[in-house]
Amino acid sequence: MDFTGRDIISIADFQRSEILHILARAAEVEATGRGKLLAGTVMATLFFEPSTRTRLSFEAAMLHQDGRVIGFSDVASTSTRKGESLADTIRMVEQYADVIVIRHPRDGAARLAAEVSRVPVINGGDGANQHPTQTFLDLYTIAKLQPALATGERALDIAFAGDLRYGRTVHSLVHALCHFRVNLLLVAPRGLELPEQYLEEARQAGVAVRTVASLQEAAAQSDILYMTRLQEERFPDPLEFDHVKASYRMTAAMLAGARPSMRILHPLPRVNEIATDVDATPHAQYFAQAGNGIPVRQALLALVLGRQP
Amino acid sequence: MSQDPPTTSGSRIRQVEAISNGSVIDHIPTAVTLKVAAMLAGSGDQLFIGANLRSSRMGRKGVVKIAGREISAHAASCLALLAPGATVSIIHDYQVLRKLPVEVPAEFTDVARCANPNCVTNHERWSSRLAVVGREPLRVRCCYCERSFLGTDLALM
Repeated sequence: MDFTGRDIISIADFQRSEILHILARAAEVEATGRGKLLAGTVMATLFFEPSTRTRLSFEAAMLHQDGRVIGFSDVASTSTRKGESLADTIRMVEQYADVIVIRHPRDGAARLAAEVSRVPVINGGDGANQHPTQTFLDLYTIAKLQPALATGERALDIAFAGDLRYGRTVHSLVHALCHFRVNLLLVAPRGLELPEQYLEEARQAGVAVRTVASLQEAAAQSDILYMTRLQEERFPDPLEFDHVKASYRMTAAMLAGARPSMRILHPLPRVNEIATDVDATPHAQYFAQAGNGIPVRQALLALVLGRQP
Repeated sequence: MSQDPPTTSGSRIRQVEAISNGSVIDHIPTAVTLKVAAMLAGSGDQLFIGANLRSSRMGRKGVVKIAGREISAHAASCLALLAPGATVSIIHDYQVLRKLPVEVPAEFTDVARCANPNCVTNHERWSSRLAVVGREPLRVRCCYCERSFLGTDLALM
């Protein structure tokens, strides 16, 4: 399977076999550790909006494999402020780099960049639309913790909790999981339920979806509990937000009835939704999940640059 | 309450003024008749519009007639987005010279703006590309921001 020169823009562009190939490459890269996989290559990070974690993860991924990094993370210092079009910025940067990672506040900006660019473009998040490397690292983490995802030997119970309406990471992961043998459990505050189009997508893929009433129920009935942050701006009434925030908080005591192998993931940053006493339990895997961003991004960079792990 | 004129075959009374030469767009869904007319009016041609007309096939429908000219290729594309079930007849000397199918393409390029205000195509000088993902009703998906919309909800370019 050759990914040389390919853009990584949307999880919807990938078939199940391609996803599995990427996850297998990431496992190889992780097993090998630091090396010279990306030696002699230059990655440009064009961050038109700030994102510390994604940028650091991409940069660390390059540096740990002897690659080099150029770029910006402050749009105020770029020619965009002088009125330069995104297409022109890309035409300039492609002269300097072998691969471009872009994060942009507009939906669809990464696709536009990929159409312009002669070098591969990786989407580091385009507005509310896609963040495919987050989805690949989420899948990699799930497959690592619950190997049944890749083998399909049994259906995994995967629970999603939190803002399921606006959460970009949730939408992309639900889409990707429709390629696998899973059951979905959903727990969301009123008004922040998973949009109908994703429920329909799951139905069409033969994925069973059911709603559960509480975080405890989700923890007790799932193999993976994927939690997300509630954002105050999504609530028209601040009192409603305070009420939901108080009831939507996972503590170590609430995990008493959880399956021993159940693991909690979170795209981070977490705020109040996971108490710090959960961190010390074997269920907490969100920091390891963030760490998995390194081998996954290294594998993706190597694949699109034609480097064999 | 107003009465509709009789339209039984044999004693057919035209519901919209006849044209000697030009194009007749028939079977337009009532809800988008004025949108189709507004789209065609940009050309400066003389138009005759019928809205909420009785139709045995559709219940109610719209008709727009363009005097003196064949519908342009761009207008035909817009029509496919707004009213994919419409029919187009080219009129010559009060007779139907030929009928044109309204062809729905796989993708509309630079026909309508993406309805997502945060879509990059509404902020950069770049083409709009909308892929057809459903036919009845016509639904399109922006190739950039990946959001889906009803064709009738879009603003034409």
